[in-house]
Amino acid sequence: MKKNSWVYSIAACLLLIVVVLTESRGALAGSPEANPPGIAITIDNFSFTPPAVTVKAGTQITWTNRDDIPHTVVSSDNAFKSKALDTDDKFSFTPTKPGTYNYFCSLHPKMTARVVVE
Amino acid sequence: MAQKTTDEITFDQDHSDQNHDGIDRRGFLKCMAWAGTGALCVIQGGVLKSYSLSNPFAMKRHARGELSFIQISDSHMGFNKPANPDVVATLKAAVDKINALPVVPEFMLHTGDISHLSKSEEFDNVDQILKSARPQKVFFVPGEHDVLNDDGKQYRERYAKNIKGDGWYSFDMKGVHFIGLVNVMNLKPGGLGTLGSEQMEWLEKDVKHLSKSTPVVVFAHIPLWAVYPEWGWGTADSAQALAYLKRFGSVTVLNGHIHQTMQKVEGNVTFHTATSTAFPQPKPGAAPSPGPMKVPAEQLRALLGVTDVNYVRGHHPLAVTDSTLE
Repeated sequence: MKKNSWVYSIAACLLLIVVVLTESRGALAGSPEANPPGIAITIDNFSFTPPAVTVKAGTQITWTNRDDIPHTVVSSDNAFKSKALDTDDKFSFTPTKPGTYNYFCSLHPKMTARVVVE
Repeated sequence: MAQKTTDEITFDQDHSDQNHDGIDRRGFLKCMAWAGTGALCVIQGGVLKSYSLSNPFAMKRHARGELSFIQISDSHMGFNKPANPDVVATLKAAVDKINALPVVPEFMLHTGDISHLSKSEEFDNVDQILKSARPQKVFFVPGEHDVLNDDGKQYRERYAKNIKGDGWYSFDMKGVHFIGLVNVMNLKPGGLGTLGSEQMEWLEKDVKHLSKSTPVVVFAHIPLWAVYPEWGWGTADSAQALAYLKRFGSVTVLNGHIHQTMQKVEGNVTFHTATSTAFPQPKPGAAPSPGPMKVPAEQLRALLGVTDVNYVRGHHPLAVTDSTLE
């Protein structure tokens, strides 16, 4: 009986390792649900807050519009582009490639911000 | 509530009064209203005058001119936030004001942000309400809210079907040349409204063969002058467009976007911005952002039509007839 439970434990650990490995591969491929601790950016008063974030590749970034006016989230190099976000609408993007992504609101182009991916 | 019937306009004393008429053409004048219902424009002797529809004189007196038309703007159909939960009612109120005018205006100009989210039912709703206006013809230009998600495809199908480019066009009415411009497409990060080189080439050709005595009216959504660049209230390449219009004796530029009235006279060019029929926006720099300005519900309707005139520079008040029906 005792021997059996050891075997089960080892099997469970192996399974866990396999799952974790699979998930990290998924993250490399850009799977959005792979990395739970994402980062949140809010849109308030025609501003992205925080205006600059640095994240690891594979981190999901979620923007939420809290203004009474629609906004968009569009990167200058078209790496990501949201539809118009009405109040409380969200948009998520998970960068996979390191680099600096400058983005803006295409309706109110004075609104600019940046994501740095390491 | 009491309504102002005259506007006070200030001019910069430092600037010269070249025409010796008390009006400094190079000076900067500005009159503001929080929110109104529309503007009545009358061309008299080639000079355009605009009157706030909230002004009781506009309702009572007969507007005598060669051509009169209405400008409405920023109906934002679909907007339902606290700044105005019923934009249908306020647009209908604007139409009622227009219909109460003693003379039916020739047509209406809508200077954009017809819809709030570019939804087809929002456009349908506005079209339906405007059908009840006595002037049957409406000319549109798009606002940034009318070209969401599809680069303006739906807008062009509805309002600019046989028109080249993004929907710019011109037409002539009783000797006046009207030019509708589009400055809400392809906006660049950090930038302002943009007309773009293709439209600019078209504009240059469009006005080339007009005689310089032709009165010209230009209408576009975002102001074609730097109202407040910090909030994006201006158009990056407007100076080039205005250069093509320099030789004309009378040029009037009508814009929306900023949800309040402002005027500026520069040389032969008079700039006007119209109020919104939907919700007010703050004065430039008076709030952290240009978002919808919430006022107590019972004040929203009362504020429609209140004209508040501010000094911009200088200390020399001057009453002019441009903004009231004398």
